[in-house]
Amino acid sequence: MRSPFAMCGGRAGLAGLLVLAAVAGMASADPGGRVTGTITVTESDGKPANATDVIVYVVGFVEPADDQVATITQKGRKFVPDLVAITVNESVSFPNNDSFLHNVFSQSGPRKFDLGSFKGGETKARRFPETGVVDVYCNIHPEMAATILVLPNRRHARADDSGHFVLEGVPAGDWRVFAYTRRATKPTSAKVSVKAGAETTVDLSIVRGAEPAHLNKYGEKYHGGQVYK
Amino acid sequence: MYGTEVMPERGVELQTWILEEDNKYDTQVKESSIWWGPLIGVTDQLELALPFELEWDQVGGDKASFTFKRFGIEARYRMVSQDPVEAPALVPLVRLAIKRDVTVRDDVRVEGDVVASYETGAVHALVDLGFVSDITPHTHHTEMRPSGGVSIRVAGELRLGAELYAELSLDSRGESWAAVGPNVAWTHGRFWFSGAFGIGIYHINAAPRVMWGIAF
Repeated sequence: MRSPFAMCGGRAGLAGLLVLAAVAGMASADPGGRVTGTITVTESDGKPANATDVIVYVVGFVEPADDQVATITQKGRKFVPDLVAITVNESVSFPNNDSFLHNVFSQSGPRKFDLGSFKGGETKARRFPETGVVDVYCNIHPEMAATILVLPNRRHARADDSGHFVLEGVPAGDWRVFAYTRRATKPTSAKVSVKAGAETTVDLSIVRGAEPAHLNKYGEKYHGGQVYK
Repeated sequence: MYGTEVMPERGVELQTWILEEDNKYDTQVKESSIWWGPLIGVTDQLELALPFELEWDQVGGDKASFTFKRFGIEARYRMVSQDPVEAPALVPLVRLAIKRDVTVRDDVRVEGDVVASYETGAVHALVDLGFVSDITPHTHHTEMRPSGGVSIRVAGELRLGAELYAELSLDSRGESWAAVGPNVAWTHGRFWFSGAFGIGIYHINAAPRVMWGIAF
């Protein structure tokens, strides 16, 4: 807003950990080790769920960004994918592949932005200079929601259908491995001790809850109420 | 005084300004004017406004008049990104407006401003070097409208500060005045409000003004 003169629960904890990780130290140039494992995802009612929308990452050390640009597409009134992980200082582009307007915005503390309304075929992008969890919404379509994990290093990966993941090149040392999915009731993590050239295995489980309510970019409820997937 | 924020692309805002000038010049002119109009974000850095102005005035003890005074179009171009990460602390903006005076049928008003804001922490400073020029086939009158101010965020989106503004005639067809006083600005969601109470320091008693806007 102009003037002429003018995460809730677990997410807050995760954001704090990411900030701490950012100041913990730079990774050494050793070849590193490999961290593998399996994520078990259950819904809050106890039913098993697919693990493909889980991202696993390691915190405790800092690496420079690869200058890669991740993409979150707006298509069919959805963000695709609805969860991406990037390294701090990397960018995310937001192409609109629908035939109507979207207004992508975030009010998350680590990165507030408002892309304005832009039509199909147009793309806008933003850089993310601070670690943390950035929730992204559309000011026109309340059912659209996505999350960007801005991480202090490049050691992050998406789990496969069976929940298996592999993190390559993790520097030797004692770190903490996190698993994150949108709608997680709280972050889940485990300590790992990584040795150069060796493989370390860690298994994690995570519980997925309901999509949290969100407000529009003015801090108000959407007209017609919230609609969620 | 114009700020350096503009609407995001395809954003729309309705703004209302009420400006008062009490007992200015030796002739004790009193004026109240209303500026109202929509602003449209053409790009993330360029917005257009389509204002119209109503004006009430009274000279000395004469009968007061209230009239539809002028309408026009204006462009405001912010010269840097408005993204909070990409934007530098020093933000320049230029404004150009062309208006038709309804009461003086052959008059064209041209307005321009070069505005710069600087933000550091809770402090926001603004300088606006503006001019207004009324042009008819036979006459020409120009005045400078410089202003500047500083405000501090005191709580949430509430700002308090002080500002100085003036109208300085560059020819014998007009007179000059200046005022200085406290200001307040408050933003709440899609709504913002700003007000200043200018106390006359030269050829005017007071120049209070309030402005508000609501975005859609």
